[in-house]
Amino acid sequence: MTYAEKQRLMRDRAAALIEDGIVAYIIGWRETRFPDKTAVFFARDKDDAERLVWNEYAVPLTAKYMTGDRWPDGKIGVFARGCDSKAINRLISDNQIERENVYIIGLPCEGKSDDRCLTCRQKDPVAYDELLWEPDSASPTVAGRGRFFRTEEVEALGTQERFDYWEDVYSRCIRCYACRNICPVCTCRECYVDMHRTGFQGKRQDTAENRVFGVTRAFHVGDRCIECGECERACPMGLPILGQTQKIIKTVERLAGDYESGMSPDKENFLGKFDKDDKDAFM
Amino acid sequence: MSKTGVFICHCGTNIASALDVYKVAEAAKAIPDVSYAAEYKYMCSEPGQQLILDAIKEQGLKRIVIAACSPRMHEITFRKMLKKSGVNEYLLEIANIREQDSWVHEDTGKATEKAIDLVRMAVAKVQKNEPLKTSFIPVTKRALVIGGGIAGIQAALDIADAGHDVVLLEREPSIGGRMAMLDKTFPTLDCSACISTPKMVDVSAHPNITLMTSCEVESVSGYIGNFKVAIRKKAKYVNHDICTGCGLCEEKCPVKTDSAFNRGLSKRPAIYKLFPQAVPAKPVIDKESCIKIKSGKCGLCEKICPLGCIDYNDEDRLVEEEFGAIVLATGYKLAEWQSMYDEYGAGRFPDVIDGLQFERLVNASGPTEGRITRPSDGKEPKTVVIVKCVGSRDIKKGHPYCSRACCMYAAKHAHQILEKIPGSRVFIFYIDVRTPGKGYEEFYDKTRKDGAVYVRGRVSRIYKEGDHIVCQGEDSLLGRQVRVNADLVVLETAMEPSEGSAELLGLLGCAKDEDGWIQEAHPKLRPVETQVGGVFLAGVCQGPKDIPDTVAQASASAAKAIGLLNKDEMETSPMIASVAEDKCSGCGACEPICPYKAITLERIPDREPGTGRKIERPAARVNAGLCQGCGACTVACRTGAIDLLGFRNNQILQEVDALWP
Repeated sequence: MTYAEKQRLMRDRAAALIEDGIVAYIIGWRETRFPDKTAVFFARDKDDAERLVWNEYAVPLTAKYMTGDRWPDGKIGVFARGCDSKAINRLISDNQIERENVYIIGLPCEGKSDDRCLTCRQKDPVAYDELLWEPDSASPTVAGRGRFFRTEEVEALGTQERFDYWEDVYSRCIRCYACRNICPVCTCRECYVDMHRTGFQGKRQDTAENRVFGVTRAFHVGDRCIECGECERACPMGLPILGQTQKIIKTVERLAGDYESGMSPDKENFLGKFDKDDKDAFM
Repeated sequence: MSKTGVFICHCGTNIASALDVYKVAEAAKAIPDVSYAAEYKYMCSEPGQQLILDAIKEQGLKRIVIAACSPRMHEITFRKMLKKSGVNEYLLEIANIREQDSWVHEDTGKATEKAIDLVRMAVAKVQKNEPLKTSFIPVTKRALVIGGGIAGIQAALDIADAGHDVVLLEREPSIGGRMAMLDKTFPTLDCSACISTPKMVDVSAHPNITLMTSCEVESVSGYIGNFKVAIRKKAKYVNHDICTGCGLCEEKCPVKTDSAFNRGLSKRPAIYKLFPQAVPAKPVIDKESCIKIKSGKCGLCEKICPLGCIDYNDEDRLVEEEFGAIVLATGYKLAEWQSMYDEYGAGRFPDVIDGLQFERLVNASGPTEGRITRPSDGKEPKTVVIVKCVGSRDIKKGHPYCSRACCMYAAKHAHQILEKIPGSRVFIFYIDVRTPGKGYEEFYDKTRKDGAVYVRGRVSRIYKEGDHIVCQGEDSLLGRQVRVNADLVVLETAMEPSEGSAELLGLLGCAKDEDGWIQEAHPKLRPVETQVGGVFLAGVCQGPKDIPDTVAQASASAAKAIGLLNKDEMETSPMIASVAEDKCSGCGACEPICPYKAITLERIPDREPGTGRKIERPAARVNAGLCQGCGACTVACRTGAIDLLGFRNNQILQEVDALWP
C-alpha cells in the first residue's frame, strides 16, 4: 500500500469514528508550512479528518498529547504506531490515563525518515483497538543501527575524553526543558526542577546546574523510558539525551535480561520495585 | 536568627581525646544561627542534661544541636529530656562526632575540622526542622507466638500468666519442638521430657492460651498493636473435638513410613502422633503417605475409630486473627551435612549419624528404647567418634558462626556413651572447647575424667574399612595424623534457621542477618526486638543458643510483649512519610517499593485544572501505623511529593548546602 492509500484509509476511518460518536476527537498529524515536517493535530469533525496526513514525515509522538485531557468527555481517539502504543502503555501503568478513555487506532509503521527511528524495535503497535492495515511481517523492526549504538559510541571513549564529552554537552544545554515536555514518561504534576523552595535544581544557567538536570532527568526516566527518542528530536541543541538514558536501560538489561519498557500496561519499573527475592550481592 | 544552642559532649575521653572540643564550641558560637554553645564531659548524664535544660531556660533557646555519639545511642534520651523543657523534641539534631569522627580519625586537627563541619550541618538542618507531634493508636490485647518449641512455650506461658490472650501456633501436629526430641540436658542431666512435657501440658490447660497445631502463617498485614494474620489450618483429617486419643487407629494403620521425629531411625504409621507425650495427644493423618487419601482404598482407621473422628475429605482452612504483638520462636534445623561434606561419606554410611539422631537413640522413648546401637546392624558400638563443628566455624564448607550448644552436648553424648556402654571408648575431635555457662566447664572436666579423649583437630576423611568406620584427621597438638577405627560416628552439626523462616520474615518485613538468623533491633540494647515494631524474637531463631539462654530470652521477649499489651493505646513515631497530595501524580512508584506495605493508591477528590469540574484522581496515601519511616518511598518519588517528616528533602538539602557554602 502506498502512503496515499493509507492516508485515505486514515481520513475515512477518522471521519467515521467521529461521526459515529465512538471517539470525541482523534489525535493524528497534519501538514505544516515545511514540506518535511508534520505537526500533531486534533481532528474533531469530518472536515478536520480530511486534513490528517500519513507520510514519511509523520514523526511526532501522538500519545503524550492525551495527558492534556485526563478527564475527557468521551473517548480520545489516537493514531498509534509502535512507539505511540508503548507510550500509551506507559501512561496507563503510570496511572496518567485510563485505558477505557482511549480508542487506539493502530498504524503498523514503515519506519520514518528521522534519527529517532534508527533504533526502533517496535514498528507495529503493541496495543490497539483496531489495526488500520496489516503489518508488514517482513520487517517488524526498522533495520537500522544496534539498539545501544548511541551509548556504545560514548562508552568507547577514554575516561578523560568521556568527561570532556559530557562537559561539552552540559556546556551547551540551555535547560529549555523541551526534552522533559515532550517525554511520554515525564508526567509529574510538578517537575522537581520547578520546586525552587525545596531547592533540588538551582536556577543558574551554568554547566554545574545543567549537569544536575541532565543526570537527574536520566534517572527519573531511567527504566521507564520507552526509547522513542522524542527527547533528542525535540532538543534544539542536538544533545545526546536518549543515548544517556539508554545507558541505564543497558545496565538494567545486564541485570535483568531482556528488558523493554512499555510492552504492556502492567507495572514494570525494574529499578522501582522491592522484592524479597531481589539479588543483593552487594549486601 | 533562631536562637540555636549547641552542646558538645566530651564523652569522657572518647571524643575529647581525639579532637579539640573547645575549638568546636568556639567555632559553633561563630555560626550566625547559634546564640549559645557549651561543652561538657558527659552530656547524657544527669548534670549534662540539666546543663542543657538550664541553658534553654536562661538563653531562651528554641532549637538544639547536640554534638555527641550516634543518634542511635541517645537521641531518644535527649528527646525525653526536651519534653521537660518546652522545646519540641523534634527541634533537635544530633551531630555524630564520635562514631563518625573521633573514633575513626587519627589526625586531631582534621577531626576537629570535621566536627565543626558536622555541627554546621546539624545547625543548618535544625533551622528547617519543624515541631512534630506523636499520635496514639489502640492496641489489640492479644499475642501471637509463632513456633511451639521451648522458646514459644515459655513466651506463651509468660504472656498468658500476665493475663493476656495468646495464640501459640505450631506447624507440626504437636508442640514440643527440638527439646522434645532430646534425651538428657546438660549440665545437670535432667531428662528433657521430664522438664518440658509439664510445660506443654500447662500450655494446653492454660485458660488464656489457644493452641493452634498443624497451622502456618499465610500472610501478615497491619502494624504494631494491630496485626492481622491469616493462618492456614492444615487439614488433620481427624476431628480433634471428639477424638480422645485412644490410639486404636495408629495400631491398625498398615502404612509404615520414616519417622521424621526419630530422624529416620524408625517407622511410623500414616495416622500418627508426633511422639507419645504429644500435645495435643491426638493423631493426625499424613496425607502424603495415607493410602486412603492417595488411592481411595484402605479406610481402616475410619472403620476402627469408635467415635467416627476420621474425615478423609478434610481440607485446609484459612482464618484471620488479630493480634497486638507477635513473638517469633521459629527455632532451627540441623545443617544438611550430607550435601556439604562429601569426605564424611555424604550419608552413604548408616553409622555416621548427627547429634539429634543420637538423642533419639539414647532416648528411652526413642526407636531403641534408649539402647545405643549402630543403625546398620543393631550392635552396640565400642568405639565412638564425635566430630564437632560440622558445618559450624567452617567458612569454606559451612557457616562462619559457632553453633554454641554443640561443645556441651558433645560432652554430654560422650558421658552417656561411657556410662551406658561399659568398656567403651569415645574420641572427640574439636577445634576449641567452649564452655561458658554455669556448671559447664565442670561438666566438661568430668567428661574428660570419665575417659573421653579429646583430639584437637578437624576430621579430614571418614571412610569404611571392613566393619569399621575410619575417622582420619590431624591431631594438631601432636602435629600428626591420627586414625580411629570407630563403630559409630556422631557429627555435631551446625544449627541453621528452620525451614521457611526466610519466607516468614518476608511476610513480616523483618530483616535477617547474613546467615539467615533474624536480625535483632540492636545487638546489645534491644536483643529481643526486631526492626519491625511489635514483633519480638525468642530462642534460636535469632542465633544458636542452648536451652537456658533460649528460655531466658523467651521470658525477655514475653516481658516486651506484655509491656506492649498492657497499654490501651500506644505512641507512634511522627517521623513517617507524608504525601503532598497537590504534587502527587499518582504514578504509584512508591507503592511497590514500600517494605511495610504502608502505601496505597487511593482516588482523591479534586477539581480539573481550567474547567473547575469536580473530578477524582489517584494519589498515594501513607498508613501512619504501618509506616516505619525508612524513607524508601521518598527516594522513589521523582517529584518529591513524599517527604519523610524529620528528614524532609529541603532539610537534607539545607544540610548538604551547609557543607559547601
